[in-house]
Amino acid sequence: MSGTAAALETVGLGKRYGRTWGVRDCSFALPPGRVAGLVGPNGSGKSTLLRMAAGITRPTTGEVRVFGHSHSNQTVEVLRRVGYLDQERPLYRSFKVSEMLRFGERLNPGWDAPAAARYLTELGIPSDSRVGRLSVGQQAQVALTMCIAKRPELLLLDEPVAALDPVAREGLMQILLRAVVEDGTTVLLSSHAIADLATVCDFVIILSASRVHVADDLEYVLASHRLLVGPHDSGGAPPGAVVVSTTHAERQTNLLVRVDEPIRDPGWRVVEPTLEEIVIAYLRGGGGAGNSPPASSQGAVLVGDRNITGAAGPPR
Amino acid sequence: MIWATWRMERALFAVALGAIGAVAILLVVTGAHQESAWTAFSGLHCNQPGSSTTCMAAADRYYSSSDFSAAGVGIGVAIPGLLGLVLGAPLVGGEIAQRTNRLAWTQTMTRSRWLTQKLAVGAFATMAIIGVLMPLVQWWTGEVQRGDRIVSFNFDVSGFAPVFYGLFAFMLGALLGSLIHRTGWAFAAGVVLFAAFRFIVRLFVRPVLIPPVTTTVAPTAPSNAWVLNEGFVPLGRASPAPGRSWQSANDVIAGCTNRVGRSARPVHTIQQCAALHKLHYVFQLQPGGHYWALQAAESAVFLAASCVLFALTVLAVQRWRT
Repeated sequence: MSGTAAALETVGLGKRYGRTWGVRDCSFALPPGRVAGLVGPNGSGKSTLLRMAAGITRPTTGEVRVFGHSHSNQTVEVLRRVGYLDQERPLYRSFKVSEMLRFGERLNPGWDAPAAARYLTELGIPSDSRVGRLSVGQQAQVALTMCIAKRPELLLLDEPVAALDPVAREGLMQILLRAVVEDGTTVLLSSHAIADLATVCDFVIILSASRVHVADDLEYVLASHRLLVGPHDSGGAPPGAVVVSTTHAERQTNLLVRVDEPIRDPGWRVVEPTLEEIVIAYLRGGGGAGNSPPASSQGAVLVGDRNITGAAGPPR
Repeated sequence: MIWATWRMERALFAVALGAIGAVAILLVVTGAHQESAWTAFSGLHCNQPGSSTTCMAAADRYYSSSDFSAAGVGIGVAIPGLLGLVLGAPLVGGEIAQRTNRLAWTQTMTRSRWLTQKLAVGAFATMAIIGVLMPLVQWWTGEVQRGDRIVSFNFDVSGFAPVFYGLFAFMLGALLGSLIHRTGWAFAAGVVLFAAFRFIVRLFVRPVLIPPVTTTVAPTAPSNAWVLNEGFVPLGRASPAPGRSWQSANDVIAGCTNRVGRSARPVHTIQQCAALHKLHYVFQLQPGGHYWALQAAESAVFLAASCVLFALTVLAVQRWRT
């Protein structure tokens, strides 16, 4: 990559638990200033990937770089740039909310105390109540507030809106997006709710069966995938299209393909898929047994920050 | 972080202090009771045979009060280890079990610094509590036992060495907690390892930490000394001949004096046998004068062991994997 360093870059990243790999051969680069969605089924390695990115879990193979700094040295230089929201929202339950913020203030030189106080007021969380007495949703909000008040340059959020009711979800997302707009923070957030991601993200990383299948601009991902609908006996995919997944309905075959140029084969009806359809296609194609194309070597994989106006232009 | 550590651990400290305070009150009350019983008993000068019923009653009162003795020494021996482990095991292990390490390790502070500050606060608190409590235990057992402080059990509950036993237990708890992640199991493993280490040091290390003194004062053991070995050894030697045990020369003497049973020869006294076989009777011991030097040397052993445990804990936390 030329120019400025990626906000988050992984090179051959892998994490093995005993004999199984939680994450394997993971290489991608997230440019600064993006809001990236990390999607994948349960157990696909999302949390492991985020924990390695946050520097909590040590990778078995490969390396994580945050703005060009390697995580393996555990330096303050990296730690101050990363904000991390764990899936379990760990907080010191015996602390009052105000003490929790004081903890953040003591441990972070860049702490934004006025912002933290403002967020909690907006969220209606009393600062003198004990963290352990708060509802699950309120604890998530306190945890996210702590992440944002740290003023990190890269924010890693593991299922930030899980277990929140729609109203709380909305409030939390608003706080998050405001921070992104104000500070230009790079965000990587994982979620099950793909539809939600499509509205906030401009970058998408699809993780399935421990491997990264797609890591690219949302626009490019949408533009470079097509859903082909044709009769049963229509043979293989048209030239130039790489099949991601195949499903058979009663009288027709649906192919989700990655294409570099427009499909002109009249035998297929070409439909623009939604992000959700693309994600599901990858999960179906890559989530099965080990015979699916692995992430790094095969064609049906998009990794890297490609310019969508490049030579391999998307179909119209 | 010092504030945060104190804030996290203060409830545990409060509970530990409460338990220690209860022990202290027990010691003060029973110690005062023994003190008065001893004063009354020794004031009667009951040394002569055929003493009066008053004497008997006073003696009864004193000796029944000293039934606490063994328990008291037990408490004195156990407190540094238990307190250190109680405070040390949850320090890292508790955070890992609660997942709050994921919060702490993603703030702007390296893990080693985080750990060092946490351990410093905990170690200081542990040593302070034991440092305050041990003089009380020492007074208490001193009143009961009226023995020599160089002797093992008295040594274990007096001086400043117990403070370092506590430090060692604390660091051991911290290391096990960061390896096992379950406070209860870390504590249980800590009790076993702490007891084993104390036991090994007392049996094998303490006797030779400072070269022992040999004396030929016979026939009774010298007072105010911790006798390590005694027996007949060759003249000119302070210990048995190479390859021989302390018992071997005693067997020679026994064989020599026993001849009287089989033959009509004149009885050999022990002295005669010793002269015959060129042996003399020696005591190998740590004299009372070595007390402070031994306390310092043993403290140094536990301090060094604590430093090793600290380094291992830093390593364990830095290498920590999910």
